[in-house]
Amino acid sequence: MVALKFVPFALKQIARRPTRTLLTICGVATAMFLFCAIQSMQQGMKDAAEANAAETTLIVYRENRFCPFTSKLPERYDGRIAAVPGVKSVLPMKIVVSNCRASLDVITFRGVPSDMFVKQAQSQFRILEGSIDDWNRRSDAALIGATMATRRKLKVGDRFDANGVVSIVAAIADSDEAQDKNTAYVHLDFLQRAAAIKSLGIVTEFIVKVNDPKDMESVARKIDAEFAHDTEPTQTRSEKAFVARAAGDLIELVGFTRWLGLGCVFAVLALVANTVVMSVQDRVREHAVLQTLGFTGFLIARLIVLEGAIVSLAGGIVGAGLAVLALRWGGVSLSTEGVNINFSASPQILLTGLLVSLTLGIVAGLVPAWQASRSDIVESFRSV
Amino acid sequence: MSYIECRKLTRAFHKGDTVIKPLRDLDLDIEEGMFLALMGPSGSGKTTLLNLLAGIDTATSGSLKIGGIELTSMPRSRLASWRADTIGYIFQLYNLVPVLTAYENVELPLLLHNYSKKERHAKVSLALDLVGLADRYDHYPRQLSGGQEQRVAIARAIVGDPKIIVADEPTGDLDAAAAAATMAMLKRLNIEFKKTMIMVTHDPKTAAVAQKTLHLEKGQLIENNA
Repeated sequence: MVALKFVPFALKQIARRPTRTLLTICGVATAMFLFCAIQSMQQGMKDAAEANAAETTLIVYRENRFCPFTSKLPERYDGRIAAVPGVKSVLPMKIVVSNCRASLDVITFRGVPSDMFVKQAQSQFRILEGSIDDWNRRSDAALIGATMATRRKLKVGDRFDANGVVSIVAAIADSDEAQDKNTAYVHLDFLQRAAAIKSLGIVTEFIVKVNDPKDMESVARKIDAEFAHDTEPTQTRSEKAFVARAAGDLIELVGFTRWLGLGCVFAVLALVANTVVMSVQDRVREHAVLQTLGFTGFLIARLIVLEGAIVSLAGGIVGAGLAVLALRWGGVSLSTEGVNINFSASPQILLTGLLVSLTLGIVAGLVPAWQASRSDIVESFRSV
Repeated sequence: MSYIECRKLTRAFHKGDTVIKPLRDLDLDIEEGMFLALMGPSGSGKTTLLNLLAGIDTATSGSLKIGGIELTSMPRSRLASWRADTIGYIFQLYNLVPVLTAYENVELPLLLHNYSKKERHAKVSLALDLVGLADRYDHYPRQLSGGQEQRVAIARAIVGDPKIIVADEPTGDLDAAAAAATMAMLKRLNIEFKKTMIMVTHDPKTAAVAQKTLHLEKGQLIENNA
C-alpha cells in the first residue's frame, strides 16, 4: 500500500502524458466492455442452466422435432398425461417464436390455459406494472417479461404486434426463471386462434411436474410409451436436458467466448504494462532524483504500481460501467429454439470487471516497478 | 574524530576487462560546519567522491564514516532513510520534477517523514521564503528562470533540515548574476544555519566562497589549501 499523501503525486505523473494515458484508458475500457459483455453472456447461460436445474419438471415434445414451429401435439393429450402414475400436474403450452435459429431479438409467445396460469402466476412472477387480473380479463392480453419490455420499450396498455399475433400488454413482470424474463404469456386459445397460427387444439409441449424427482426417468418413459402408437408420438425429457439440447450450440459458442474473455484480459495486461514501461523509461533520471532525496526503491516501485492500477481501474470503470448500462438499457437476450438466454447485467458483473481491471493494473506494473526499484542511482544519472 | 572520515576510500568500475578507479585509497577528514570545495579536471574523481559522501554510491573498499555511522556496509533501504535525514543534494541541472509546482517539488522530501499537512506547509513556506521565492509557489519549473529553478532546488535540499548539503556544480548552468546569488545563499546556509557544505566546481571564483578547497587528480588528493 501507498500512503494517501503520495496519491496526488501519482495522479500528476499519470496526467503527465495525457494523450497516452487517455488512449490507454480507452483501450482498457474497450477490452473491459467486451470482458463484461462476455461475463454477462456466461452468467446468462449459467442462470438459464441453474434455473432449470430443479429436477421435478419434464417437457413433453413431439418426437424427433426440435423447434416450436414443428412440434405439434394435440391439446387433448393433457388428460392422458395427467393419468400417468407419478404425475403431479400438466400444463399444455403453445409456443410461437419469431425465429427458430439463434438470434438476439427473438419474440417468444407462450400460450397457457388461463385458469392454470392465474394460479401459478402469483408465485412465479413479481408484477412490476399492471396486474394478473387485467391479464385474465382480456382475451388478447399479454404478460411480458421485464427484459422483453425493456428491449421493445413496452408499457402496460401498449399494442404489441409480433409474428402476426397482436396483443395488448396487460402486465410486465420479473421472475427468477431466465425464460420468463424474455417471454410474452398469452391465453392459450387466443394464441391458437391467432390469424397466422390457425392451430386450434394444438400445443407445442406439455410441462409436467412429477411428485418425486427420483421418478423422473420412469415417468418420462411411461408418457412416451402412452403415445408411442399415436399419430403424434412424444419425446419426454427433463427440463434441464431439454434446455441443454436446445441450447447445445449456444453452450458451445458461449464456452468459446471464455477464450475471448481471456484475450481481453491479456490485451489489458499488455496495454497497461506497455504504458507503465514507457512511463518508467521516460523517468529514469527522475527516479534517480527521488532516490537521492531518500525515496526507497520499494516506495518508488509501489508508486509505479499505483499508477498502473489507477489507469487500469479508470478504464475498468468506464468499460464495465458502459457494458452494464448498455446491457441494462438494451435488455439483450440470445434465443434459440424457444430457449432464452438473458445477458445478465448484474452488479456482480460490474464488480468483477472492476476487480479484474484493478488486479491487471497491479500485475502490469510489477515488472517495471521491480526494475525501477533495483536501478542504481549513479548509473541512472549517467544513462540519460 | 572528524564529522566525516574517509579511510583508504576506493571506488572501482569494471569496463570489460579493464578496472577503472576514479577514486583510490583516499583519506579525508571534514569537520562539521565546514564549507568545502572539490576541484579537479574531468575524470579526477570529484563527483564520485561527492556521490559517496551523499550516500548515492557505495565504495568498493575502504571506510566512510559520517557522524560516526559507517556508510560502506549500509543496506540500500537504510541508506535511503539516512539520505532523507542527513543529506540535501543540489544538482547542476536542478532536476526538479516538471509536473510538480515549486511548492510540490520542495514538499517531496517531507513526504518521507511523518509530518502533518500543516507542518509540511509551514516547512515548505519557510524554505521558499528563505530562497526568495515566496511568490512562486504555484509556478511549474518551465515557468521559472534557471536561477529560480536552482533556488527551488536549494529550497528542496534544505527543507528537511539536513546536516550536510552537497552540491554538484551548482552554478554550472547559471549566468554570472544568478551564480553569485546562488553562492551567497549557500554561504548563508553554511554561516547562519551551520550546514556542512561540500561542493564540486570547476570555477575558482565559485570555489573561493568555500572555507577550504581540495584538488583531486586521478582519484587522489593532490593539494590541500586552507
